[in-house]
Amino acid sequence: MSDRSQLIETGTPFTFDAQRDAEFERLVKRYPTRESMILPSLWLVQEQEGWISAEAMAYIADRIGTFASKVFEAATFYTMYNLRPMGKYHICVCRTLSCYLLGKQEIVDFLNREIGIKPGEVSSDKMFSLEEVECLGHCGSAPVVQVNGEFYENMDVEKLKELLATLN
Amino acid sequence: MAEKIKLFVNGQEVEVESGKNLVDAIGAVGIEIPHLCYHPALGADGNCRMCLVGIEDGRPPLVPACKTRAVEGMKVQLDTDKIRKIQRDVMEFELVNHPVDCPVCDQAGECKLQDYYMQYDGQKSRMSVPQVRKAKHLDFGCGVIHDQERCILCARCVRFTRMITKTGELGIVNRTDYARVTIFPGRPLANRYALNVVDLCPVGAMTSQDFRFKQRAWFLTKSKSICHGCAKGCNIFIDHNREKYKDDIIYRFRPRLNEQINGYFMCDEGRMSYKLENEQRLTKPVLNGKVADFGTTVEGIRRALSQAQKMLFVVSPNCSLEEMRAIQQFAASQNATLSGYSDGYIKQGDGDDYLIQDDKSANRAGLELLGIDSSKTGFETAVAEADLLISFQNDLTRTLGAEACNQLKERMVLISIGSHEDSLTQMAAIMLPVASYSEKDGTIVNADRILQRYAVAVEKNAPPVTLIQAVAQLGGEITSLESAWDDLNTVVAGLNKVDFAQIPEQGLALTDSEVSNVAA
Repeated sequence: MSDRSQLIETGTPFTFDAQRDAEFERLVKRYPTRESMILPSLWLVQEQEGWISAEAMAYIADRIGTFASKVFEAATFYTMYNLRPMGKYHICVCRTLSCYLLGKQEIVDFLNREIGIKPGEVSSDKMFSLEEVECLGHCGSAPVVQVNGEFYENMDVEKLKELLATLN
Repeated sequence: MAEKIKLFVNGQEVEVESGKNLVDAIGAVGIEIPHLCYHPALGADGNCRMCLVGIEDGRPPLVPACKTRAVEGMKVQLDTDKIRKIQRDVMEFELVNHPVDCPVCDQAGECKLQDYYMQYDGQKSRMSVPQVRKAKHLDFGCGVIHDQERCILCARCVRFTRMITKTGELGIVNRTDYARVTIFPGRPLANRYALNVVDLCPVGAMTSQDFRFKQRAWFLTKSKSICHGCAKGCNIFIDHNREKYKDDIIYRFRPRLNEQINGYFMCDEGRMSYKLENEQRLTKPVLNGKVADFGTTVEGIRRALSQAQKMLFVVSPNCSLEEMRAIQQFAASQNATLSGYSDGYIKQGDGDDYLIQDDKSANRAGLELLGIDSSKTGFETAVAEADLLISFQNDLTRTLGAEACNQLKERMVLISIGSHEDSLTQMAAIMLPVASYSEKDGTIVNADRILQRYAVAVEKNAPPVTLIQAVAQLGGEITSLESAWDDLNTVVAGLNKVDFAQIPEQGLALTDSEVSNVAA
């Protein structure tokens, strides 16, 4: 953990695009209180922009009709929300027990050699970002890697090489 | 009165009020259960774990007292070894990242962390790893300064902005050791009660920009009083101190619990009104443009009164009931017209549905009770014929404007008896300084018709003459609060059953029917 409270401002107001706007309106009916939309809305922003800016949090708060401080709390509590721009391909490597035992470190080391980034970093060409995350719930097919939310299971260095070749 | 129940604390039988949680119920009979996050106005949050107690009835080992209701026959354990260990451990955790900068911290002397360390912890720090560093002196707005390193994350301030002011400016962001209280970027504290978070904060994380570094808490004398900032009459503590070779100065107002008036809180405007008690005070009598002594000035006023044909006395809606009665009696004896015209003290639309009132005077209900005419027409009729006007602490420029008051000055003798330098006292031919509310005794009636008594808090090196004494020296018959009440009891229908000596601390609700005015 570290301090995630230094939010980045883009300098321009945020709005949902048409698709996320529609999705927001669809989801809001699901909950008894509008405040329940804080987490889904943060996901929508992340889907749209890849990360969540201060402006986006303010937009969500006003759209839901809740305090910006509450959105701020939720966004900084859950580390899955990116609070700064990530690479075009955001790679998550599971570091919890099964993946740890079955060699997640080799994968992380390989990525460090190949792309030159450590967990928590973004490559200088902004193509890749790497993060070690907690259990992704696919222990049966460890080690697991996620690229932009998509799962790649039973990973090893060879498979990762092939995968990286397809990303451009 | 609430129903009483009996329960056992450490084996000793105590009688407490039913319907309360253990912290409040047992605390009310003088047995303190330590707590940091619980506050009666904000409810139980249960995050600090400092109030864990044992209940001998087979329920899980320990329960938070703030979330446990007092029940008849309950056997509460506060002092087992296990509880003591937990309290010591909680304190140790609270202090893991605390800077322990008490020597430069404003809270020192009124800090729960300090108190509880001495009471429940008392061990040396075992920390050998670097502490988590966080931000200091953050300006949260509204004069609130935050130190994230001193914060213990009890969330009282956060709950206050969400539950009481419903403005929600504060939140706790991050988690684990990195958690901290903050504002959302660009959305600082913006409510009229924000400074209450400084009182609520059990440690030195929230401090007041205005008060910090001014005085050590233990040097302050804490005197009970009533705020005169508006017609609500919030109960306050006046924290004042006479430093060596200096005068008695007020350093801050803090809200004082009164369930039927202000609860635990007060507005920022009222809180900052302490400055008015220190500043711009009138101290020297002025007679025809020259500083004179008190007696000579009184003589001057008496002479002016004897020469006047038609007199108009204007009384302030901030005067106490006793003063109003003294002036009313004096006006009658002098055949002067009495007016309480003071519309300028009302700020239409400024009030809210919580504590702040439109009426920025403390005792307008008193004017009504005494039947003193405050109408514009009444004043205008009287002032048209008057050749002498005495203002008793009523700054007429607030109501009439400076221009109109200047015109009055041209065609009549203008006398001001007041506590503060205002636009009117500057115009007055004769000016007599008197005590302000922090320096005298009296009673006032608030907007909800609750009668409250206040007493001398500040004793100046040269104590100012009270308005009652001043009126008495001018020839009024009332010389003291007691003689004023002899009068008030007989003359004012709404007050005839009130026993001045028995006005309860919480105030006395005056109802429209006289019969129910009996003090309990």
